[in-house]
Amino acid sequence: MAPIRDKYTIHSKAVVCQDVELKGDITIGSGTIVHPKATIFAIAGPIVIGSGCIIEEGAIIVNRRKEVMRIGDDNLFEIGCRVESPTVGDFNTISTRARVHHTVRIASYCVVGAGCLVVPTDDEYLDDYTVIYGPAAERRTWSGRGKVQEADLRRKHAEYLREMLPKFNRLRRGEGS
Amino acid sequence: MPPTVDYHCPCLSRTTVPPPPHLPSSSHSFHALHTLFFCEECDAVRCNRCVSVEVSGYYCPNCLFEVPSASVRAEKNRCARNCFMCPNCRNTLSVVPSDPPDPGDGRLTIPISTIGEPPFFLYCNHCRWDSAEVGITFEKPTGLAAQLQKFEDSAPDSLEFERLKEHFEPVIRASSLSSSTSTAPAAHPSSAAHSHRRTNSITAAASAALARDIPGVSKYNPLARSGRGGSSKDKTANRDEMPEYRSRLDISSASSLGTGGGDADVDSMRHLENVSEVANLEQRWVNSWATSLQTADLKPLRIPLHSKRSKRCPACAHILIKPEQKAQSVRYKIKLVAANYLPAITAALPHQQEAANPDAVKRTLGKSTTVAADDDRATAGMHAGKTYPFHLALTNPLYDPIQVRLTVQRVHAPAPASGRASPEKARRPPFAVSLPSASFPIAAFAEAWEYEDDEDDDMFGLDDDDEFGIAGRVAGREKDTRGKIKTVGVLEKKANVTVVGGEVVIGKEARGNVKFNMLVSYTYRSDDPTPSESNDAEGTVSKAAASKPPETKTFAFYTVVDLGPIIPREEPRVESDF
Repeated sequence: MAPIRDKYTIHSKAVVCQDVELKGDITIGSGTIVHPKATIFAIAGPIVIGSGCIIEEGAIIVNRRKEVMRIGDDNLFEIGCRVESPTVGDFNTISTRARVHHTVRIASYCVVGAGCLVVPTDDEYLDDYTVIYGPAAERRTWSGRGKVQEADLRRKHAEYLREMLPKFNRLRRGEGS
Repeated sequence: MPPTVDYHCPCLSRTTVPPPPHLPSSSHSFHALHTLFFCEECDAVRCNRCVSVEVSGYYCPNCLFEVPSASVRAEKNRCARNCFMCPNCRNTLSVVPSDPPDPGDGRLTIPISTIGEPPFFLYCNHCRWDSAEVGITFEKPTGLAAQLQKFEDSAPDSLEFERLKEHFEPVIRASSLSSSTSTAPAAHPSSAAHSHRRTNSITAAASAALARDIPGVSKYNPLARSGRGGSSKDKTANRDEMPEYRSRLDISSASSLGTGGGDADVDSMRHLENVSEVANLEQRWVNSWATSLQTADLKPLRIPLHSKRSKRCPACAHILIKPEQKAQSVRYKIKLVAANYLPAITAALPHQQEAANPDAVKRTLGKSTTVAADDDRATAGMHAGKTYPFHLALTNPLYDPIQVRLTVQRVHAPAPASGRASPEKARRPPFAVSLPSASFPIAAFAEAWEYEDDEDDDMFGLDDDDEFGIAGRVAGREKDTRGKIKTVGVLEKKANVTVVGGEVVIGKEARGNVKFNMLVSYTYRSDDPTPSESNDAEGTVSKAAASKPPETKTFAFYTVVDLGPIIPREEPRVESDF
């Protein structure tokens, strides 16, 4: 395998901490926040992260495929989660220590609960508003009621972090800037 | 599994001698030290099996509201405020306002500050269930239980239950009246009967109140009743007779009204397309009533109340443990736990620790047992036909120094005897245990020691361990194969911890666990001196070294020590998969 060529494109409004492990071809969109100790590995193909995402400490995002891994806007990756999905839509929440395999594609407004393992052997597509919860990774469909408030909360969360994180962490800048 | 030491509570047997450790019943008589209580009045160990438990208060585990016991029954044991449980995943629900109306342009508009808009609904943060799914919404976000009350009260089960209560009420009242009049005179003269009635003090109080002399109402008593004859006699004689009960609904037609069961369920099952349409057992289990099978019919549940309980000694009815009334508090008003009275014993196998962590041996035992706990594998097991030393660390919780004597109760022998059995006697049990036979001291507990890690022992005047060491060594001299290393006897004294070494000789054909009963008797200076010497009880302390010893008391209790399984001889390389 050819050595991974590092190429980071970080939007000027994104907040990416210095103590972040990045590898490969990574694009981070405007307003996205990457906490220290997060890991983003573009092993095979590049990773493109949209705007307004929050990637917390210890979260691991890996692209094992040749194709571009696209992560939409306003997603929340909580502490210690691991996501390898080739596509992730908008406004998803991957909770603490959840794990999503590379066979799963995620649409929008999905929630993977804390500690849930989503590791099917066959390719799978999580429809909009899918909620995975509980120790047995049960599934149900969210009615979508309250999504505006949640989105509002996510925006505020990101806004707060954009303000506070630079005060206590060195930031990483993209190669372009 | 690290070696364990459990303590005996004699509540299950008439004798104080515990059952032999190899019997299955042994595990029911022994408990971990932290679960035991100690009654100062009876001077005895009490376990959770023998204490009498009473509720000292009810509270909601979610809002921590203390519910007065009078309203507990009226609220059907559930929180009547704003606490609800998700019927889908049993998480706590929160009340949220609705989203602002969709402008309809497809694009999500996100207002930067949301104003609570009615209708409100209950929302589960975990599984995203919301009460709007089952058609429950609220006009205002307060007093939700009251708003939901009408749903609950109009449920057919609830109505039926109310009707049943109404139906039986005259019968219950009549029977409680007659029982109170018949037992009340008997309860007064004999105190034994009175103490027996303490168990249901509420019913006693209620019946006493009912039997009270009320002006204008003729007092109920057996004589008057027999004089009146007629109606009152009928009441007691035909106590089992009651008017026929008619249910509100015919049960065969009730299922169509959503009560569950019957043809309606069969019909819905027939048209089932998805398993998730049926509420699983766990989801229906928490309901008070039989509910419908449909997931779509699950209603938010009020959170069941919890109770704080106090425990009493079964013999003298003194309180052993009593929590503080406030639900927020985790402290206790009264707490007589055995850990404050009995020396804590932890067992350890040095060879296991060496296998797990060579450095840990130098450290104190209490710490290194936890280190060794996770990885004692086959290397650390005990093989049949070998001899192993073991350590017992005794910690004194008392503010006075104690003298401890350990005695091993021999298996199959009726009388407890020393483990240093003669070889022909030791044939029968699969292993023989030797422990120091002399008593040894443990220094008093002092808070300051908790902060000092490594303190030299002789600072506290504890440098007299040689004689005990030698005495212990005599006990194990035949087995002292290692020569220089002392294995049986007092090994270490540090603060209020004394480490005692023992040795177990495992027979060639041995199997099972190295598990033996051990009698621990300790002597301490008594707080309440006997009347004859009450005057100079304080004075004797100063001349304790002289001929007159201070007032002492001895307490003895049994423990069972489980050092772990024996690896049989036949397959020495067996993988221990316990």
